[in-house]
Amino acid sequence: MENNKDPSSLSIAMISDFFHPEVGGVENHIYMLGASLIRRGHKVIVITHSHPPDRVGVRWLIPGLKVYHIPFPTLVSSATLPNFFTFLPYLRTIVLRERITIIHSHASLSSLGHEGVLHPHLLGVRTVFTDHSLFGFADAASILTNKLLEGMLRNVDAAICVSYIGRENTVLRSNLPPKSVYVIPNAIIADHFRPAVSNPPKDMITIIVISRLAYRKGVDLLVATAPRICAAFPNVRFVVGGDGPKMVDLLQMREAHFLQDRITLLGPVAHRDVPSILQQGSIFLNTSLTEAFGIAILEAACAGLYVVSTRVGGVPEVLPEDLISFTPPTVDDVFQAMSEAIAHIKQGEHDPHRAHERIRGFYDWARVAERTEVVYRDVLRTPPYPLWTRIQRTMGLGPFVGPIYTMILIVDCLFFALLELWMPRENIDQVEVKWDATRFETVTGQGRT
Amino acid sequence: MVVTDSDETSDEGEWKRVLWRPQPFPDNYVPPTFLAALSKNPNVLPYRYWPLVLGACTISQHLSIVFVFLAVFTRLLDHTLDPRLLVVLSSVTFVAGCIIWESIEYFGSNVGRRTPSDRRAYTVKASLLIFLVLIALAPILRTLTAPTSADSIWAVATALFLVHAALADYSYAASPIRRERLTSVLSINAAISAAVVLASRLHDDLSVFALMLFSVEAFALFPVFRRRIQSMPALVQSLVTTLLGLAALAAPLPTLCAAVLTSVTFGAPAVLMWAQQYKHEIRGPWDAATPRGLSGEHVAEFL
Repeated sequence: MENNKDPSSLSIAMISDFFHPEVGGVENHIYMLGASLIRRGHKVIVITHSHPPDRVGVRWLIPGLKVYHIPFPTLVSSATLPNFFTFLPYLRTIVLRERITIIHSHASLSSLGHEGVLHPHLLGVRTVFTDHSLFGFADAASILTNKLLEGMLRNVDAAICVSYIGRENTVLRSNLPPKSVYVIPNAIIADHFRPAVSNPPKDMITIIVISRLAYRKGVDLLVATAPRICAAFPNVRFVVGGDGPKMVDLLQMREAHFLQDRITLLGPVAHRDVPSILQQGSIFLNTSLTEAFGIAILEAACAGLYVVSTRVGGVPEVLPEDLISFTPPTVDDVFQAMSEAIAHIKQGEHDPHRAHERIRGFYDWARVAERTEVVYRDVLRTPPYPLWTRIQRTMGLGPFVGPIYTMILIVDCLFFALLELWMPRENIDQVEVKWDATRFETVTGQGRT
Repeated sequence: MVVTDSDETSDEGEWKRVLWRPQPFPDNYVPPTFLAALSKNPNVLPYRYWPLVLGACTISQHLSIVFVFLAVFTRLLDHTLDPRLLVVLSSVTFVAGCIIWESIEYFGSNVGRRTPSDRRAYTVKASLLIFLVLIALAPILRTLTAPTSADSIWAVATALFLVHAALADYSYAASPIRRERLTSVLSINAAISAAVVLASRLHDDLSVFALMLFSVEAFALFPVFRRRIQSMPALVQSLVTTLLGLAALAAPLPTLCAAVLTSVTFGAPAVLMWAQQYKHEIRGPWDAATPRGLSGEHVAEFL
């Protein structure tokens, strides 16, 4: 098999600190997007940091996703130390070896992703960045990370956000022209989230909560409303999945109101167990205080649950109004909305299988990959910024940050020139094997229908 | 697809802020409602000048006390102030302060904050103890820094007074439960240390004792008293500030003291008013919501 047999085929490198074997929304998004792009005939590799002792070097994931683990130590919660230069030698070698044409960085708190946007112009590679979360503007941490993001995005060719609200947030934080920021939502695999075969019983209503138990997920609201709901409706029970700092509050609430038999706390839940937990319930309660997309809501709705959620962030964009009911983040309103939802379920007005069939058509990874490919093609069609324009754009960051980032940019160029002398391109091996997704699918019998 | 909801088939050509439906627009289409929910400076209360000046009075009072202390020290150092007079004055002001405190509590409306009588006995005991300990310590304090040169002492004292002014607790004591912050403890410690190093420059034990007694009153007891008068009418506050400000003019370099006090009281609020025009606060639906209606509101409302 020789390389580049299909001239329209792209070679894409996804770069982020957050990837398998960690679990989470960003990790899953990168994997699913990569796999779907491979099915469209492109070549995709992932670059992330290593997880010693066993996840090091180069790994392959089904269906032919090659993962480079860079030996960088992690700082906190799987993010590496921001240092602007050390990634360049690795990145240059990998890009040259794999003949990468597009670099796609993920997550605004990933310093590997930041570097993945800073360096590629030296190699003539174009960049796309996906922002997965929302940030405020008021606290010191947000102000600092927003400046870092702005500095990085001066070099990016296009950005992708997962919701319209995320796009507005990113445009404000990074001063990008809105035209260069695309909205491509997350997706789910609808087959993984099927409703239970028999409809859940109407005499005992189970409310499911699956979330990280943290302040930002609104666990305080849950702690305040759950006893009221249990008191008002004797045939309602709660199943709470997830763990976090607010677990103690939930345990205390359960003990104080003698609700041990009504509220089940599952503790940490693996993602593959989520569908079976969802199948037990009829209502999904989400009390988040901020949410960029709300994939948990989508998964629950797809599994046939009626969703009650606080009206925050991107949540109102995800589902049509008749599958979800919104509430302001106050205890009284959440209680009110839950009462209405319980009445709605009791009257049998919500058909889980019909809801599942509808949502099945809403979100699809293949369509996400298709839309992402449009972004790549748009980027490749525009001319890249020349170095002088880059310097001018970087200087425009501000009287203090501008010169600092410009220095980083120029030192980066010099470092690259040094690398060109030290490790000449001719001496770098090129990867000649190209994964044939169609052949893989014929062999494994997983052909796309 | 079995679905034929009117919601999903009608107005197909119109942009809607939803993700679940394919839109007849490219993904980078900028809708006319883009950033419509953005609000700038939504919960900013424009400052008014005189309330700010009243707030700055707290800081002026604090600085005035430092200046008054310096004035007393220089007079003790060049023997123009009789230390016995200072001891008598300190005792009289202490008793007067106690009487004012008691009368505020007696005539004040907030009955719940009255000091119980056993606290009073404790206070009397503690003040007598401090009095005696200071007398006993005076000879030691006088010779404490004898081998150190005077220049170092002035520098150390200046630094400690700056720390004292910077870390002091100027907050308004509106809540009945007061939690003593670490910084305010550090602030008192810095001021007492400054008093100790300055006292070691004096020539006789009685002067050292008098200065230490005065410093305890000025830096440890006065802030407590000051917090109490903060909740009193503006007239009382401005009167106290004026009196203290005039007393501060007795310090060495009276013009500098006057300049500092004037700029803190009248200049700083004006600068803050002027800087308000650069206030640029962005709010929108992406901000984390604040949960409301929780019992006891144990979640802090940081807005």
